[in-house]
Amino acid sequence: MSVAAVHPGGIADHIHPEPQGFVRRYVFSLDHKIIGIQYIITAFVFFMLSGLLAEVIRTQLLNPNGGFVSSDTYNEVYSVHGSAMVWLVIIPLLTGGFGNLVFPLQIGARDVAFPWLNMLSFWIFPVSGLMLFASFLMGAPTAGWMEYPPVSLQGAAGTSMWCAAIFLVGVSSTMTGINFVVTILKMRAPGMTFTRMPLFCWGQFATAPLLMIATTALAAALAALFIEREFGVPFYDPTKGGSPVMWQHMFWFYSHPAVYIMILPAFGIISEVLPTFSRKPIFGYKLIAFSSMAIALAGFMVWAHHMFTSGLAPFLQLPFMILTFVIGVPTGIKIFSWTATLFGGKIHFSTAMLFALGFIGLFTLGGITGIFLAAIPFDLHVHGTYFIVAHLHYVLVGGSLMGVFAGMYYWFPKMSGRLLNETLGKWHFWLFFLGFNGTFIPMHWLGMLGMPREVATYDPQFAFWNRFESVASYLMAFSILLFFVNVLWSIRNGKRSGPNPWGGRTLEWQIPSPPHYYNFKHIPTVYGLPYDFAQPLPYKGLDEELTDSPPAVAAGAH
Amino acid sequence: MVEHKAQPAGLSGGFWTVTAILTALSIAAIVFWSIFPLEKYLPAAIITARQVDLLFRFMAASGSALWIFVAGYLLYFSIAFRARATDPPDAIGLQVHDNHKLEFWWTVIPALFVVLLSIVSVRIWYQVMLEPENGIVVQAIGHQFYFSFRYPQINGEVTDEMHLPRDVPVTLNLTSADVIHGFWVPAMRLKNDTVPGLVTTIKFTPIRDGRYPIICTQFCGVLHSEMDKQYLVIEEKPAFDAWFKKWQEKNAHASNALPSAGGGAVALQGGNASAGKALFAQKCSACHKVAPFSQTLVGPGLAGVLHDPSHPNLVNNQPATPQNVAGILQNGFTGSMGTMPNATANGLSRQDIANLVAFLDSLK
Repeated sequence: MSVAAVHPGGIADHIHPEPQGFVRRYVFSLDHKIIGIQYIITAFVFFMLSGLLAEVIRTQLLNPNGGFVSSDTYNEVYSVHGSAMVWLVIIPLLTGGFGNLVFPLQIGARDVAFPWLNMLSFWIFPVSGLMLFASFLMGAPTAGWMEYPPVSLQGAAGTSMWCAAIFLVGVSSTMTGINFVVTILKMRAPGMTFTRMPLFCWGQFATAPLLMIATTALAAALAALFIEREFGVPFYDPTKGGSPVMWQHMFWFYSHPAVYIMILPAFGIISEVLPTFSRKPIFGYKLIAFSSMAIALAGFMVWAHHMFTSGLAPFLQLPFMILTFVIGVPTGIKIFSWTATLFGGKIHFSTAMLFALGFIGLFTLGGITGIFLAAIPFDLHVHGTYFIVAHLHYVLVGGSLMGVFAGMYYWFPKMSGRLLNETLGKWHFWLFFLGFNGTFIPMHWLGMLGMPREVATYDPQFAFWNRFESVASYLMAFSILLFFVNVLWSIRNGKRSGPNPWGGRTLEWQIPSPPHYYNFKHIPTVYGLPYDFAQPLPYKGLDEELTDSPPAVAAGAH
Repeated sequence: MVEHKAQPAGLSGGFWTVTAILTALSIAAIVFWSIFPLEKYLPAAIITARQVDLLFRFMAASGSALWIFVAGYLLYFSIAFRARATDPPDAIGLQVHDNHKLEFWWTVIPALFVVLLSIVSVRIWYQVMLEPENGIVVQAIGHQFYFSFRYPQINGEVTDEMHLPRDVPVTLNLTSADVIHGFWVPAMRLKNDTVPGLVTTIKFTPIRDGRYPIICTQFCGVLHSEMDKQYLVIEEKPAFDAWFKKWQEKNAHASNALPSAGGGAVALQGGNASAGKALFAQKCSACHKVAPFSQTLVGPGLAGVLHDPSHPNLVNNQPATPQNVAGILQNGFTGSMGTMPNATANGLSRQDIANLVAFLDSLK
């Protein structure tokens, strides 16, 4: 038995025997990379379903009188669309998906700290997703993804199913959070200090505590809503002594940090893609890393800015407004640093890079309207209108989803050993960019002029722009279809990528694509930041990674 | 990788040309948002609507300028620093890690802007909050799926339109009979939720005659989309008086029962002051003293609540009558001091409320 290297955290380095058989390898796998891919595939299936729901919404809104589906069905459709996109698509893709797939490789670990917990948290996710979609069979929830009581107490039986489904997916998130925090704290390769860690890992490290802490508040709120609906214990019903505003506090105590859960990992993806395709170090590494932590911390202190119209005492609202403005500062630092990263670069316009550049432009717009909304007097005008719908889609689609696509084009070779087709990818980007802006830009002025959100019919004066948006949304849907075609085609026919198609300098690019199940033959030693393109790679012990030699640690060694 | 000579640092003439163009564009955007005729698209029906528009103009102008610079440099850098076919395949960019001076300034300038924006927002917010309250008091009650309105001296509820006289300050108390609704008049640039069990207040002064839609902005059930069919009518005092008189006659025999969330009006005749005193010690004394109004514990002192000439109105701006005090006990109230829980939260029966009101009435 060879002598095992010891990680800085004191965990012995060993390799488990390679799992045998299809089920242990690809279904109930313990390998973080397979689990990451499982997350990505499952989340994209849910993405397709809730994307179809989005097109039902837009088709209904082609006409002021609706008429495509009934009001009740429409309410179910947008409620499930919102819930699924948040909890079954964006969060799992960015944390369970790309998080699992990439960051253990980037810190030079063989797996996450708790592989069994990882497998469990993955398998809860499709189950809860199916439960959420199954709520259609018993009358889906209708009160939006926020499900404010008391109206959610009146909702059909599926609302309780919704509570259970979101509770479960929250359990899965919490376990992922614990797993990631421990992995990053304890399993970094020798020499991988915090100030040498790639920025994607920093993104995950800022996100994981949010997953761990914030989700518990949501779980409590959901449990209370479920108990009230099913057993009549009055938590929220004011006629029996409950408080409907309590739900809003607990919901947003989770859901505001959740906004950062959905964007910090995307910041991380952008911070990897930009230096690779500019052939330049990321500008202001330390400020980008620490601003992520600042955003995560401040994210816990601003939840009531979602509640300026809820009847809070006025003096309570003031600090929430000002703290929300303050979050603009670290966010601005990131945006300026990314822009400065391009200066003097040798920029290669791969599809991943296009999505990263699109991300900066669109996320900045969403961030600016976020500042608008934090200003109480303006929020009192546009709260609950299409202006909010525009803002949140600029952040979550123009931001998070563009980040996801950048990550897909960037790391698909690492997952599959093949490149996605770049021509189709560029069509995907440009059509998506046009369709997205066409769909969501007009919503800003529709909301300001008087169109409330969550309506199945609307004032005919808004008909022109709604039709415009619907047509643009079909373009966006078509571009996403191109993406799916691209993935399905490239997985069999794509050009072979080799280990490092982009000239990436982080650790995951220094090993074969796809990597061995044990990731590294030798755990490398790290000597510096990965982004110095003029310097040799700051790693030692990687010489045999691309050869046929067997791993240094024998399988089963303990 | 082979060592490369980094390309020379320094800002080329192109950079300054682009900066000049972006500056010009930003100034154009600022001018655009300063003169854009917002009221042509959405009239300003109350005084503070113009203040909110002003805040929007300020934020839209500075936001546009910021975005123009970010997107402009993004585009310019992408084009100017693209890899060219003539570059060697392993060409690298300028190896700059950071620039502390630059980073310092792009932290400090946004931080200063945050201070400025906070000052502007708070000032405008104060104007919205501190509208005078010496005019008419109206209550709007959300129902599935309409709003009803209560006026002093009109019995029962007005159920179609909400009329208000121009240039008279309005105190609008909002509550709900069932679920949470949002009461929004886009022309007022103002909204608040109507929350069952709570009374929330907005204050404003109408300045422009017209008929403005009232729209529900919180999902409230299957017909939520239909809750945009009622209007706020602002008119001259004589026209308002005529409308008011019509409803007084029409509702002459209507019941004044409170909204159903409160369970109807409390009969106050059978109130027992000594039972109320015991109840006060048990249920109210944690937040209220038997002392003058100004002696706040959590809520105000209640010794003179019904008989203090310097406080003719209650915290919800309704006149201090026993029936209105009963209304607060029944429905609760949220104001600048915080939330007074409603009767169900406090565990008060209707007889308890009658007893408490009798006790408060006995304090001179």
